[in-house]
Amino acid sequence: MKSGIQHAKSKFQIPNSTKRMVSTLCCFVLLALPGSCTHGKEKIYKKSRIMMDTVITISVVSHSEDHAERAINSAFSEIKRLEALFDFYSPDSEVSRINKHAGISRVKVSQDMLAVMVKASFVSDKTGGAFDVTAGSLLVLYDFSHGIKPRPYAIEKRLPLVNYKAVHIDRKDAGVFLEKAGMLIDLGGIVKGYAADRAVETLKREGILSGLVAVAGDIRAFGLKPDGKPWKIGIKNPRAEGKDDILATLDLKDMAISTSGDYERFFIIEGERYHHLLSPATGYPVRTCQSVSIIAGEGVLADAFATGVFIIGPEKGITLIEKMGFDGLIIDREGAVHVTSNIREKIELEKNFTRHNGS
Amino acid sequence: MPKARNVLIEVDGHPLYVLPMGRDGIVEVEGPRGKTIVELKQEKVRVKDSPCPAKQCVKQGWAEHGVIVCLPNKVVITIGNDGDDVDTVVDAITR
Repeated sequence: MKSGIQHAKSKFQIPNSTKRMVSTLCCFVLLALPGSCTHGKEKIYKKSRIMMDTVITISVVSHSEDHAERAINSAFSEIKRLEALFDFYSPDSEVSRINKHAGISRVKVSQDMLAVMVKASFVSDKTGGAFDVTAGSLLVLYDFSHGIKPRPYAIEKRLPLVNYKAVHIDRKDAGVFLEKAGMLIDLGGIVKGYAADRAVETLKREGILSGLVAVAGDIRAFGLKPDGKPWKIGIKNPRAEGKDDILATLDLKDMAISTSGDYERFFIIEGERYHHLLSPATGYPVRTCQSVSIIAGEGVLADAFATGVFIIGPEKGITLIEKMGFDGLIIDREGAVHVTSNIREKIELEKNFTRHNGS
Repeated sequence: MPKARNVLIEVDGHPLYVLPMGRDGIVEVEGPRGKTIVELKQEKVRVKDSPCPAKQCVKQGWAEHGVIVCLPNKVVITIGNDGDDVDTVVDAITR
Protein backbone atom coordinates (compact mmCIF):
# COMPACT_ATOMS: atom_id res chain seq x y z
CA MET A 1 0.00 0.00 0.00
CA LYS A 2 1.45 3.29 -1.07
CA SER A 3 1.50 5.86 1.73
CA GLY A 4 1.04 8.82 -0.55
CA ILE A 5 3.44 10.88 1.48
CA GLN A 6 6.29 12.60 -0.28
CA HIS A 7 9.30 12.60 1.99
CA ALA A 8 11.39 15.63 1.20
CA LYS A 9 15.01 15.49 2.15
CA SER A 10 15.33 17.19 5.51
CA LYS A 11 17.77 17.59 8.28
CA PHE A 12 15.38 15.99 10.74
CA GLN A 13 15.04 12.27 10.96
CA ILE A 14 11.44 11.16 11.34
CA PRO A 15 11.23 7.98 13.42
CA ASN A 16 9.88 4.96 11.50
CA SER A 17 7.05 4.46 13.98
CA THR A 18 5.79 7.98 13.27
CA LYS A 19 6.06 7.43 9.53
CA ARG A 20 3.97 4.27 9.80
CA MET A 21 1.32 5.99 11.88
CA VAL A 22 1.06 8.93 9.52
CA SER A 23 0.87 6.69 6.51
CA THR A 24 -1.90 4.63 8.11
CA LEU A 25 -3.85 7.80 8.91
CA CYS A 26 -3.44 8.98 5.33
CA CYS A 27 -4.81 5.67 4.12
CA PHE A 28 -7.90 6.13 6.27
CA VAL A 29 -8.42 9.61 4.92
CA LEU A 30 -8.06 8.44 1.34
CA LEU A 31 -10.56 5.65 1.85
CA ALA A 32 -13.05 7.99 3.47
CA LEU A 33 -13.07 10.50 0.62
CA PRO A 34 -15.77 9.59 -1.88
CA GLY A 35 -14.50 8.75 -5.32
CA SER A 36 -10.85 8.90 -4.32
CA CYS A 37 -10.44 5.28 -3.27
CA THR A 38 -7.25 3.96 -4.77
CA HIS A 39 -8.00 0.37 -3.85
CA GLY A 40 -10.13 -0.46 -6.86
CA LYS A 41 -8.50 -1.58 -10.06
CA GLU A 42 -8.97 0.71 -13.05
CA LYS A 43 -11.67 -0.66 -15.32
CA ILE A 44 -13.63 0.40 -18.37
CA TYR A 45 -17.29 1.19 -17.70
CA LYS A 46 -19.58 1.45 -20.69
CA LYS A 47 -23.18 2.57 -21.22
CA SER A 48 -25.39 2.89 -24.31
CA ARG A 49 -28.49 5.03 -24.69
CA ILE A 50 -30.72 6.12 -27.52
CA MET A 51 -30.58 9.87 -28.06
CA MET A 52 -30.44 12.19 -31.08
CA ASP A 53 -32.27 9.42 -32.94
CA THR A 54 -29.25 7.13 -32.71
CA VAL A 55 -27.20 4.95 -30.34
CA ILE A 56 -24.74 6.79 -28.11
CA THR A 57 -22.14 4.76 -26.23
CA ILE A 58 -19.95 6.31 -23.55
CA SER A 59 -16.95 4.42 -22.13
CA VAL A 60 -14.88 5.71 -19.22
CA VAL A 61 -11.91 4.47 -17.23
CA SER A 62 -12.34 4.66 -13.47
CA HIS A 63 -11.37 3.01 -10.19
CA SER A 64 -14.93 3.35 -8.99
CA GLU A 65 -18.19 2.17 -10.54
CA ASP A 66 -20.09 4.95 -8.76
CA HIS A 67 -17.79 7.62 -10.12
CA ALA A 68 -18.03 6.14 -13.61
CA GLU A 69 -21.83 6.00 -13.44
CA ARG A 70 -22.13 9.58 -12.22
CA ALA A 71 -19.80 10.88 -14.92
CA ILE A 72 -21.55 8.91 -17.66
CA ASN A 73 -24.98 10.10 -16.52
CA SER A 74 -23.77 13.72 -16.55
CA ALA A 75 -22.49 13.30 -20.07
CA PHE A 76 -25.80 11.80 -21.22
CA SER A 77 -27.69 14.68 -19.58
CA GLU A 78 -25.56 17.10 -21.55
CA ILE A 79 -26.33 15.28 -24.80
CA LYS A 80 -30.04 15.27 -23.93
CA ARG A 81 -29.87 19.03 -23.46
CA LEU A 82 -28.25 19.47 -26.86
CA GLU A 83 -30.81 17.17 -28.48
CA ALA A 84 -33.54 19.58 -27.42
CA LEU A 85 -31.76 22.42 -29.23
CA PHE A 86 -30.90 20.67 -32.48
CA ASP A 87 -33.76 18.25 -33.14
CA PHE A 88 -35.03 19.05 -36.64
CA TYR A 89 -38.23 17.08 -36.12
CA SER A 90 -39.20 18.63 -32.81
CA PRO A 91 -41.39 21.73 -33.24
CA ASP A 92 -40.07 23.16 -29.94
CA SER A 93 -36.37 22.92 -30.74
CA GLU A 94 -34.21 25.96 -31.32
CA VAL A 95 -33.46 24.87 -34.88
CA SER A 96 -37.21 24.66 -35.58
CA ARG A 97 -37.65 28.17 -34.24
CA ILE A 98 -34.97 29.41 -36.62
CA ASN A 99 -36.64 27.61 -39.52
CA LYS A 100 -40.11 28.91 -38.68
CA HIS A 101 -38.80 32.50 -38.79
CA ALA A 102 -37.09 32.14 -42.16
CA GLY A 103 -37.68 35.26 -44.19
CA ILE A 104 -39.40 36.83 -41.19
CA SER A 105 -37.09 37.71 -38.36
CA ARG A 106 -33.84 37.00 -36.56
CA VAL A 107 -34.01 34.46 -33.77
CA LYS A 108 -32.06 34.80 -30.52
CA VAL A 109 -30.11 31.60 -29.98
CA SER A 110 -28.12 29.75 -27.30
CA GLN A 111 -24.33 29.79 -27.13
CA ASP A 112 -24.31 26.18 -28.33
CA MET A 113 -26.37 27.01 -31.42
CA LEU A 114 -24.16 30.02 -32.11
CA ALA A 115 -21.04 27.89 -31.82
CA VAL A 116 -22.42 25.26 -34.20
CA MET A 117 -23.61 27.83 -36.75
CA VAL A 118 -20.23 29.58 -36.73
CA LYS A 119 -18.42 26.27 -37.25
CA ALA A 120 -20.89 25.32 -39.98
CA SER A 121 -20.22 28.57 -41.79
CA PHE A 122 -16.48 28.00 -41.51
CA VAL A 123 -16.75 24.51 -43.00
CA SER A 124 -19.03 25.81 -45.76
CA ASP A 125 -16.37 28.35 -46.71
CA LYS A 126 -13.56 25.79 -46.68
CA THR A 127 -15.54 23.24 -48.70
CA GLY A 128 -16.72 25.80 -51.24
CA GLY A 129 -20.33 25.27 -50.20
CA ALA A 130 -20.22 21.46 -50.43
CA PHE A 131 -21.15 21.40 -46.76
CA ASP A 132 -24.27 23.50 -46.44
CA VAL A 133 -26.80 23.23 -43.62
CA THR A 134 -29.42 24.96 -45.79
CA ALA A 135 -29.60 21.74 -47.84
CA GLY A 136 -32.24 20.91 -45.22
CA SER A 137 -34.99 22.11 -47.57
CA LEU A 138 -33.86 19.47 -50.10
CA LEU A 139 -33.42 16.65 -47.60
CA VAL A 140 -37.04 16.83 -46.47
CA LEU A 141 -38.13 15.97 -50.01
CA TYR A 142 -36.75 12.45 -49.60
CA ASP A 143 -38.60 9.82 -47.56
CA PHE A 144 -36.02 7.24 -46.51
CA SER A 145 -38.45 5.17 -44.46
CA HIS A 146 -40.70 4.53 -47.42
CA GLY A 147 -38.20 4.83 -50.26
CA ILE A 148 -39.77 7.85 -51.94
CA LYS A 149 -37.74 10.29 -54.01
CA PRO A 150 -38.85 13.75 -55.12
CA ARG A 151 -39.74 14.73 -58.67
CA PRO A 152 -37.12 16.86 -60.44
CA TYR A 153 -39.51 19.81 -60.42
CA ALA A 154 -39.82 19.71 -56.63
CA ILE A 155 -36.03 19.84 -56.30
CA GLU A 156 -35.58 22.63 -58.84
CA LYS A 157 -38.13 24.78 -57.08
CA ARG A 158 -36.12 24.61 -53.86
CA LEU A 159 -32.60 25.09 -55.16
CA PRO A 160 -32.78 28.91 -54.75
CA LEU A 161 -33.36 28.31 -51.03
CA VAL A 162 -30.06 26.47 -50.67
CA ASN A 163 -27.30 28.96 -49.96
CA TYR A 164 -25.26 29.08 -46.77
CA LYS A 165 -24.46 32.73 -47.48
CA ALA A 166 -28.12 33.55 -46.94
CA VAL A 167 -27.73 32.53 -43.30
CA HIS A 168 -26.95 35.60 -41.23
CA ILE A 169 -25.25 35.01 -37.93
CA ASP A 170 -25.06 37.78 -35.35
CA ARG A 171 -22.16 36.79 -33.14
CA LYS A 172 -22.44 39.70 -30.74
CA ASP A 173 -26.13 39.30 -29.95
CA ALA A 174 -26.25 35.53 -30.58
CA GLY A 175 -28.84 35.56 -33.34
CA VAL A 176 -29.53 33.64 -36.55
CA PHE A 177 -31.60 34.86 -39.48
CA LEU A 178 -32.50 32.90 -42.59
CA GLU A 179 -32.96 35.37 -45.42
CA LYS A 180 -35.73 33.71 -47.47
CA ALA A 181 -39.03 32.17 -46.48
CA GLY A 182 -38.93 28.46 -47.03
CA MET A 183 -35.27 28.09 -46.11
CA LEU A 184 -34.63 25.16 -43.80
CA ILE A 185 -31.45 24.37 -41.91
CA ASP A 186 -30.74 20.78 -40.93
CA LEU A 187 -27.78 20.36 -38.58
CA GLY A 188 -27.65 16.57 -38.80
CA GLY A 189 -24.28 16.71 -40.56
CA ILE A 190 -22.54 18.54 -37.71
CA VAL A 191 -24.27 18.22 -34.32
CA LYS A 192 -23.32 14.64 -33.49
CA GLY A 193 -19.66 15.62 -33.62
CA TYR A 194 -20.45 18.69 -31.51
CA ALA A 195 -22.31 16.54 -28.98
CA ALA A 196 -19.32 14.22 -28.72
CA ASP A 197 -17.09 17.23 -27.95
CA ARG A 198 -19.41 18.54 -25.22
CA ALA A 199 -19.85 15.07 -23.71
CA VAL A 200 -16.07 14.64 -23.49
CA GLU A 201 -15.81 18.02 -21.79
CA THR A 202 -18.44 16.92 -19.28
CA LEU A 203 -16.57 13.71 -18.52
CA LYS A 204 -13.35 15.64 -17.96
CA ARG A 205 -15.14 18.07 -15.62
CA GLU A 206 -16.33 15.02 -13.67
CA GLY A 207 -12.73 13.97 -13.14
CA ILE A 208 -12.52 11.26 -15.80
CA LEU A 209 -9.04 11.02 -17.27
CA SER A 210 -9.73 8.57 -20.07
CA GLY A 211 -12.87 8.00 -22.09
CA LEU A 212 -14.56 7.39 -25.40
CA VAL A 213 -17.78 9.02 -26.55
CA ALA A 214 -19.41 7.50 -29.63
CA VAL A 215 -22.45 9.43 -30.92
CA ALA A 216 -23.34 6.88 -33.55
CA GLY A 217 -20.20 6.95 -35.70
CA ASP A 218 -19.00 10.35 -34.50
CA ILE A 219 -16.40 9.42 -31.95
CA ARG A 220 -14.07 11.34 -29.66
CA ALA A 221 -11.38 9.74 -27.49
CA PHE A 222 -9.17 11.05 -24.72
CA GLY A 223 -6.60 9.37 -22.49
CA LEU A 224 -5.45 5.75 -22.49
CA LYS A 225 -7.13 2.51 -21.47
CA PRO A 226 -6.13 0.60 -18.30
CA ASP A 227 -3.72 -1.52 -20.33
CA GLY A 228 -1.91 1.65 -21.36
CA LYS A 229 -3.09 1.46 -24.96
CA PRO A 230 -5.06 4.10 -26.87
CA TRP A 231 -8.74 3.58 -27.73
CA LYS A 232 -9.03 1.46 -30.85
CA ILE A 233 -11.54 2.39 -33.54
CA GLY A 234 -12.83 0.30 -36.40
CA ILE A 235 -13.91 1.79 -39.72
CA LYS A 236 -16.92 0.04 -41.11
CA ASN A 237 -16.97 -1.55 -44.52
CA PRO A 238 -19.60 0.48 -46.38
CA ARG A 239 -20.97 -2.57 -48.17
CA ALA A 240 -21.14 -4.94 -45.20
CA GLU A 241 -24.64 -6.32 -44.70
CA GLY A 242 -26.10 -6.58 -41.21
CA LYS A 243 -23.20 -7.41 -38.93
CA ASP A 244 -20.41 -4.87 -38.58
CA ASP A 245 -17.57 -5.70 -40.90
CA ILE A 246 -14.45 -3.67 -40.23
CA LEU A 247 -12.16 -2.72 -43.07
CA ALA A 248 -9.54 -0.84 -41.07
CA THR A 249 -8.58 -0.16 -37.46
CA LEU A 250 -6.72 2.77 -35.97
CA ASP A 251 -5.74 4.18 -32.60
CA LEU A 252 -7.46 7.37 -31.55
CA LYS A 253 -5.23 9.47 -29.29
CA ASP A 254 -7.03 12.59 -28.01
CA MET A 255 -8.74 13.04 -31.36
CA ALA A 256 -12.14 12.77 -32.97
CA ILE A 257 -13.20 10.69 -35.95
CA SER A 258 -16.37 10.97 -38.03
CA THR A 259 -17.64 9.03 -40.99
CA SER A 260 -20.20 10.00 -43.61
CA GLY A 261 -21.48 7.11 -45.65
CA ASP A 262 -24.05 6.30 -48.30
CA TYR A 263 -25.29 3.31 -46.30
CA GLU A 264 -26.69 5.10 -43.23
CA ARG A 265 -30.00 6.29 -44.71
CA PHE A 266 -30.82 5.12 -48.20
CA PHE A 267 -33.11 3.27 -50.55
CA ILE A 268 -32.53 1.78 -53.96
CA ILE A 269 -34.76 2.41 -56.99
CA GLU A 270 -33.98 0.67 -60.26
CA GLY A 271 -30.42 -0.08 -59.18
CA GLU A 272 -29.70 3.51 -58.14
CA ARG A 273 -28.90 4.31 -54.53
CA TYR A 274 -30.65 7.34 -53.04
CA HIS A 275 -28.98 8.33 -49.79
CA HIS A 276 -28.99 11.34 -47.49
CA LEU A 277 -25.75 13.05 -48.60
CA LEU A 278 -27.13 15.47 -51.16
CA SER A 279 -25.28 17.93 -53.33
CA PRO A 280 -26.46 21.43 -52.33
CA ALA A 281 -26.01 22.44 -55.96
CA THR A 282 -28.20 19.76 -57.57
CA GLY A 283 -30.34 18.29 -54.80
CA TYR A 284 -29.34 14.73 -55.75
CA PRO A 285 -27.19 12.25 -53.80
CA VAL A 286 -23.51 12.38 -54.67
CA ARG A 287 -22.19 9.00 -55.72
CA THR A 288 -18.42 9.38 -56.09
CA CYS A 289 -17.74 8.08 -52.57
CA GLN A 290 -19.13 5.23 -50.48
CA SER A 291 -17.75 6.65 -47.26
CA VAL A 292 -15.50 9.39 -45.89
CA SER A 293 -13.79 9.20 -42.49
CA ILE A 294 -12.01 12.21 -41.04
CA ILE A 295 -9.77 12.50 -37.99
CA ALA A 296 -9.50 15.96 -36.46
CA GLY A 297 -8.96 17.53 -33.06
CA GLU A 298 -12.64 18.43 -32.66
CA GLY A 299 -15.67 16.26 -33.31
CA VAL A 300 -17.67 19.17 -34.69
CA LEU A 301 -15.11 19.69 -37.47
CA ALA A 302 -14.58 15.97 -38.16
CA ASP A 303 -18.35 15.59 -38.57
CA ALA A 304 -18.94 18.63 -40.81
CA PHE A 305 -15.88 18.02 -42.98
CA ALA A 306 -16.77 14.35 -43.43
CA THR A 307 -20.15 15.49 -44.73
CA GLY A 308 -18.63 18.16 -47.00
CA VAL A 309 -15.77 16.03 -48.34
CA PHE A 310 -18.25 13.31 -49.28
CA ILE A 311 -19.90 15.83 -51.58
CA ILE A 312 -16.57 17.01 -52.98
CA GLY A 313 -15.38 13.55 -54.02
CA PRO A 314 -12.29 11.38 -53.46
CA GLU A 315 -9.32 13.12 -55.09
CA LYS A 316 -10.18 16.74 -54.33
CA GLY A 317 -11.45 15.55 -50.96
CA ILE A 318 -8.13 14.08 -49.90
CA THR A 319 -6.41 17.28 -51.04
CA LEU A 320 -8.72 19.38 -48.88
CA ILE A 321 -8.29 17.12 -45.85
CA GLU A 322 -4.51 17.40 -46.18
CA LYS A 323 -4.77 21.18 -46.59
CA MET A 324 -6.79 21.42 -43.36
CA GLY A 325 -4.13 19.43 -41.51
CA PHE A 326 -6.50 16.53 -40.81
CA ASP A 327 -6.21 12.83 -41.53
CA GLY A 328 -8.73 11.03 -43.67
CA LEU A 329 -9.77 7.83 -45.41
CA ILE A 330 -12.14 7.75 -48.36
CA ILE A 331 -13.69 4.71 -50.00
CA ASP A 332 -14.67 5.62 -53.53
CA ARG A 333 -17.53 4.28 -55.64
CA GLU A 334 -15.38 1.35 -56.80
CA GLY A 335 -14.43 0.41 -53.27
CA ALA A 336 -10.83 1.59 -53.54
CA VAL A 337 -9.33 3.28 -50.49
CA HIS A 338 -7.79 6.77 -50.62
CA VAL A 339 -5.83 7.99 -47.61
CA THR A 340 -3.95 11.08 -46.47
CA SER A 341 -0.18 10.70 -46.36
CA ASN A 342 0.09 10.78 -42.56
CA ILE A 343 -2.56 8.20 -41.95
CA ARG A 344 -0.90 5.54 -44.11
CA GLU A 345 1.21 4.19 -41.28
CA LYS A 346 -1.41 4.72 -38.59
CA ILE A 347 -4.09 2.43 -39.91
CA GLU A 348 -4.25 -1.30 -40.31
CA LEU A 349 -6.15 -2.17 -43.46
CA GLU A 350 -7.90 -5.52 -43.67
CA LYS A 351 -6.70 -7.73 -46.51
CA ASN A 352 -9.62 -7.47 -48.90
CA PHE A 353 -9.29 -3.77 -49.55
CA THR A 354 -7.02 -2.33 -52.17
CA ARG A 355 -5.48 1.07 -51.91
CA HIS A 356 -6.07 3.49 -54.70
CA ASN A 357 -2.88 3.86 -56.75
CA GLY A 358 -0.81 6.84 -55.81
CA SER A 359 -2.38 7.57 -52.44
CA MET B 1 -12.44 -14.14 -21.35
CA PRO B 2 -14.84 -13.75 -18.43
CA LYS B 3 -18.34 -14.98 -19.26
CA ALA B 4 -21.07 -12.37 -19.53
CA ARG B 5 -23.41 -12.86 -16.61
CA ASN B 6 -26.43 -10.63 -17.07
CA VAL B 7 -28.53 -9.19 -19.84
CA LEU B 8 -30.05 -5.76 -19.21
CA ILE B 9 -33.01 -4.76 -21.37
CA GLU B 10 -34.03 -1.10 -21.38
CA VAL B 11 -36.84 0.61 -23.23
CA ASP B 12 -36.66 4.36 -23.76
CA GLY B 13 -33.95 4.60 -21.11
CA HIS B 14 -35.95 2.67 -18.49
CA PRO B 15 -34.53 -0.65 -17.26
CA LEU B 16 -37.19 -3.32 -17.66
CA TYR B 17 -35.42 -6.65 -17.33
CA VAL B 18 -32.23 -8.00 -15.87
CA LEU B 19 -31.84 -11.59 -16.96
CA PRO B 20 -29.17 -14.13 -16.12
CA MET B 21 -27.35 -15.48 -19.17
CA GLY B 22 -27.37 -19.03 -17.94
CA ARG B 23 -31.09 -19.63 -18.53
CA ASP B 24 -32.47 -20.10 -22.03
CA GLY B 25 -35.71 -18.35 -22.84
CA ILE B 26 -37.69 -15.77 -24.77
CA VAL B 27 -38.72 -12.32 -23.55
CA GLU B 28 -41.26 -10.04 -25.18
CA VAL B 29 -40.34 -6.43 -24.64
CA GLU B 30 -43.00 -3.79 -25.20
CA GLY B 31 -41.71 -0.64 -26.90
CA PRO B 32 -43.44 2.37 -28.48
CA ARG B 33 -43.83 0.49 -31.77
CA GLY B 34 -44.80 -2.89 -30.40
CA LYS B 35 -43.12 -6.07 -29.21
CA THR B 36 -39.42 -6.76 -29.62
CA ILE B 37 -38.76 -10.48 -29.12
CA VAL B 38 -35.47 -11.18 -27.32
CA GLU B 39 -34.08 -14.71 -27.17
CA LEU B 40 -31.45 -16.07 -24.79
CA LYS B 41 -29.81 -19.37 -25.65
CA GLN B 42 -26.53 -20.99 -24.62
CA GLU B 43 -24.97 -17.83 -23.18
CA LYS B 44 -25.91 -15.78 -26.26
CA VAL B 45 -28.59 -13.19 -26.97
CA ARG B 46 -30.37 -12.10 -30.13
CA VAL B 47 -33.40 -10.16 -31.28
CA LYS B 48 -35.69 -12.71 -32.88
CA ASP B 49 -38.14 -10.15 -34.21
CA SER B 50 -38.99 -6.49 -33.82
CA PRO B 51 -41.59 -4.05 -35.19
CA CYS B 52 -39.09 -1.90 -37.08
CA PRO B 53 -38.84 -1.35 -40.86
CA ALA B 54 -35.20 -2.31 -41.52
CA LYS B 55 -34.86 -5.11 -38.89
CA GLN B 56 -31.21 -4.19 -38.38
CA CYS B 57 -31.41 -5.46 -34.81
CA VAL B 58 -32.52 -8.86 -36.08
CA LYS B 59 -29.82 -8.93 -38.75
CA GLN B 60 -27.17 -8.47 -36.07
CA GLY B 61 -27.79 -12.05 -35.02
CA TRP B 62 -26.47 -13.72 -31.87
CA ALA B 63 -24.19 -11.75 -29.54
CA GLU B 64 -22.13 -12.87 -26.57
CA HIS B 65 -21.21 -9.38 -25.37
CA GLY B 66 -21.77 -5.75 -26.25
CA VAL B 67 -25.03 -4.07 -27.12
CA ILE B 68 -27.93 -4.82 -29.47
CA VAL B 69 -30.21 -1.89 -30.21
CA CYS B 70 -33.56 -1.54 -31.92
CA LEU B 71 -33.62 2.17 -32.59
CA PRO B 72 -37.22 2.60 -33.80
CA ASN B 73 -38.62 0.63 -30.87
CA LYS B 74 -36.14 2.26 -28.42
CA VAL B 75 -34.86 -1.04 -27.07
CA VAL B 76 -31.29 -1.32 -25.75
CA ILE B 77 -29.99 -4.77 -24.81
CA THR B 78 -26.72 -4.72 -22.86
CA ILE B 79 -24.85 -8.00 -22.46
CA GLY B 80 -22.16 -8.65 -19.92
CA ASN B 81 -20.49 -7.27 -16.84
CA ASP B 82 -19.61 -3.67 -16.39
CA GLY B 83 -15.94 -3.14 -15.80
CA ASP B 84 -14.53 -6.43 -16.99
CA ASP B 85 -12.19 -6.27 -19.93
CA VAL B 86 -13.96 -7.74 -22.89
CA ASP B 87 -11.96 -9.32 -25.65
CA THR B 88 -13.19 -7.14 -28.50
CA VAL B 89 -11.03 -6.08 -31.42
CA VAL B 90 -12.16 -2.47 -31.31
CA ASP B 91 -13.65 -0.16 -28.68
CA ALA B 92 -16.01 1.56 -31.10
CA ILE B 93 -16.91 1.58 -34.77
CA THR B 94 -17.17 4.70 -36.88
CA ARG B 95 -19.80 4.33 -39.58
